[in-house]
Amino acid sequence: MLQSNLLFYILFWPLLSAIILSVLNLFIKKELRSQILFDFLSVAGVSFSAVISLYLAYQNYVFSFDFGYNIYTFLDLESLKIDFALKADALSLMMLSFVNPVGTAIFFYALAYMRDDRSSARFFIYFNLFIFFMNLLVLGANPFIMFLGWEGVGIMSYLLIGFYYDDFSNIKAANKAFILNRIGDFGFLSGIFLLAVFIGVDGYSFEALSESYYKIEPFYLNLIAILLFVGAMGKSAQIPLYVWLPDAMAGPTPVSALIHAATMVTAGVYMVARFSDLFSMVEEVGVFIAYIGAFSALLAALIATKTYDIKKILAYSTMSQLGYMFMAEGLGNYSYALFHVFTHSFFKATLFMGAGAIILALHHEQDIRKMGNLKDKMPALFYMMLVAALSISAIFPFSGFFSKDAIMLHLFSSGHYLIYFIALFTSFLTAFYMFRFIFYIFFSHKRDIEVKATSKLMLIPIGVLSFFTIIVGFLNTPELLGGDERFSLWLSLFDQRYFVSHLVEISLIVINTVFILLAIFLAYLRFYKLIRLEDEASTLSKLLSNAFYVDKIYNNLFTKPLHKLSCFADEKCDIGFIDKLINSLAFGYIKISKKFSVTQNGSLNLYMLVSLGGVSLMMIYILVVLL
Amino acid sequence: MLSNMIFIILATNLLISSFVMISTKRVIDSALSMLIALLSIAGIYATLQSSFMFITQIIIYAGAILSLVIFIIMFLNIKDKNLPHEPHKTRDMILTSLVVFPITAVLIYFIKLSDFSNLNEKTTSSIGKVGLELYQNYVLPFELISILLLISLVGSITLARKEKDV
Amino acid sequence: MFKNYLILSILLFSLGLIGAVSRRNIIIIYMSIELMLNAVSIMLVSYSSFYNTNTGVVLSIMVTAIAAAEAALFMALFVTLYRKKKSLDTSLFNSLKDTNATK
Repeated sequence: MLQSNLLFYILFWPLLSAIILSVLNLFIKKELRSQILFDFLSVAGVSFSAVISLYLAYQNYVFSFDFGYNIYTFLDLESLKIDFALKADALSLMMLSFVNPVGTAIFFYALAYMRDDRSSARFFIYFNLFIFFMNLLVLGANPFIMFLGWEGVGIMSYLLIGFYYDDFSNIKAANKAFILNRIGDFGFLSGIFLLAVFIGVDGYSFEALSESYYKIEPFYLNLIAILLFVGAMGKSAQIPLYVWLPDAMAGPTPVSALIHAATMVTAGVYMVARFSDLFSMVEEVGVFIAYIGAFSALLAALIATKTYDIKKILAYSTMSQLGYMFMAEGLGNYSYALFHVFTHSFFKATLFMGAGAIILALHHEQDIRKMGNLKDKMPALFYMMLVAALSISAIFPFSGFFSKDAIMLHLFSSGHYLIYFIALFTSFLTAFYMFRFIFYIFFSHKRDIEVKATSKLMLIPIGVLSFFTIIVGFLNTPELLGGDERFSLWLSLFDQRYFVSHLVEISLIVINTVFILLAIFLAYLRFYKLIRLEDEASTLSKLLSNAFYVDKIYNNLFTKPLHKLSCFADEKCDIGFIDKLINSLAFGYIKISKKFSVTQNGSLNLYMLVSLGGVSLMMIYILVVLL
Repeated sequence: MLSNMIFIILATNLLISSFVMISTKRVIDSALSMLIALLSIAGIYATLQSSFMFITQIIIYAGAILSLVIFIIMFLNIKDKNLPHEPHKTRDMILTSLVVFPITAVLIYFIKLSDFSNLNEKTTSSIGKVGLELYQNYVLPFELISILLLISLVGSITLARKEKDV
Repeated sequence: MFKNYLILSILLFSLGLIGAVSRRNIIIIYMSIELMLNAVSIMLVSYSSFYNTNTGVVLSIMVTAIAAAEAALFMALFVTLYRKKKSLDTSLFNSLKDTNATK
């Protein structure tokens, strides 16, 4: 079927772009390059993929087609057969329908952002490969292929965080991200191995697995669920594996927008949703996931209120929003979580790209304390970012309102009130830190800052995404507002639904909105006309601005003992014992051969003596034995 | 009885001079004691009544070969400091004697064991008889030796010629 | 009586052998070899004398001739070697030795 072949082309075009770019990058000198050709190659792959993704999503939405494409059999054992197969159902196509289009917008933005960078070709090679692996992750028809994509986006994230590799701190940040992700990947890998061990015989694709979950004992089912969630924790930056995400902002801003906000970090949410039939069978693990999500959201929001790095604020905000998604997934509603993923990718990409534009305009200044009064100088950017900020704060009618409010409603109606209150408080904090961010940058003290003009190529993608930020929320209009939750219906996952009266629903919305408006008002009072900077005296603010000292604790708890152990192993075991042993073996042979080489000393007399000695021994034999 | 006495004197002389020959440090001493040894051997040929070998020994060995050796020693004008440095000469010789001893012992033991009872008395071998023997039965080897001598002549000239500067 | 000649020959041979093996002066080695040839000559002549044939004498003549040829070659060799190394020490004539092997 032609349309199933299209799945292959979604993967193929970005990969082809990456390959052609790398070949050209190798063989054509920088001065001889045609800028248009390189620009075209950089964005062509992902644009084609975006068009195909949207077409397939439309087909699926209207005709409910599921697409499958088997490329080849990867592994064929007696007990386990793994196909290199792609599958696109509603869930995958939903992911594709924002990954590739948002990706395209960010690619265009990156063209402008990376124009003056000397290794922009390398950047786009990585970016295209990232899109390839992300699509592979989303399209994988079995956990193994998904894991391939999962690792691929991990390595691309590593390479892009460390993109400016001449700065040592960037390399450290990249290593941190990579190593923490390894811990998560260990969990994920163990989980899919256990799945293969228990039900691999009955087929290893997602459909085959979902029919066989009931065969696993409850204990192992819980174990697998927790291990899979550990994988999601690493990728989606939840407690305790979140510390890499703020440091990952060392990469170029388009990377932060695409990988560390819109797509890769949501892979964890996607994975849990992909295993939704498994997770819906283990409610205790679900509650655990919800609490992890809740505390991650709260912690990140608290830290974000005291952070001054423009990109780190957004990084913590991303982590906080991911916390919301896990709350929803943990308590059983996957489609709300995915809808939040969907809307979040639009407004967070807008915010990041806006932040990137500001950073470029201010000559690589990232501290919001040194910004201010930018509203008049970049009005277009201000309105775009305002839309995104209102959206992330969940103000009607922006998209964040629809997705976040659905989650809040679900949390409340599921009866886990602690989680609900944490979510409510986090929502308050979200609005507070987002408007702190806006006021700090665009208003605050009246100072004159020199601003470089922002190119049109940069503004257009931001504008497009901010426009979508306004409208995509209506895809999942709740019943209360006259909609029918089409998005959730389309996905048709194992959602748990609670039905509450409209009165409760309205009152929840009102409470939430009142809190948010209060937060915005507080932020306005505090930061609109900021004359002096915030004082850092109190213990709490010190604690917050140092991110709860988590990095330090991790450092003392894990890194230093491991370092000591490695030093011990290096000095005592390796150099002291193994090296010595091997050296003494080698030198021993040399010593022994030196002993023997005395016989080959070139002395004629000795040679004669030895040959004479042979004759002599024969004579002694005759004398003693024969006579 | 007299011939026995002469044999013993000659044999003692031969062995002592040979020993001196292999053990002296200077080459010229060694060459001169070899001259004595060669003359003693000529005397032993005389006691065997082999007149042709007696003459040959004196003319070729003592006269030609040894004078050539002495000529070379003089020609090279070897100084004491150019002599080989042999700090362990005594030790080496004793060691070698120990190694050679079993061979000598076995050979002498076999000679003692052998029975030579059907011996003739010593007979005089005249030069004429030797000449006849040589030209009747051993013509080919005799002629081949002339070729050998020619080759060694050419070879020694080639070897001793000064090498051209490359 | 005959046995005495043979024993003398063997003793002379052994002396030559000892000299050839233990000394490092190449001229002395050469003379030791000559001594061994002479020892063989004595044995051949004594056989010839006691068995009343001339074959031994003829062979002995051959030995002498070969010794003469050998002498000519050796002398040329001495001259060449002495020119090269300014010494007659055999331990210096080791161009074929593996330089990596240590003494």
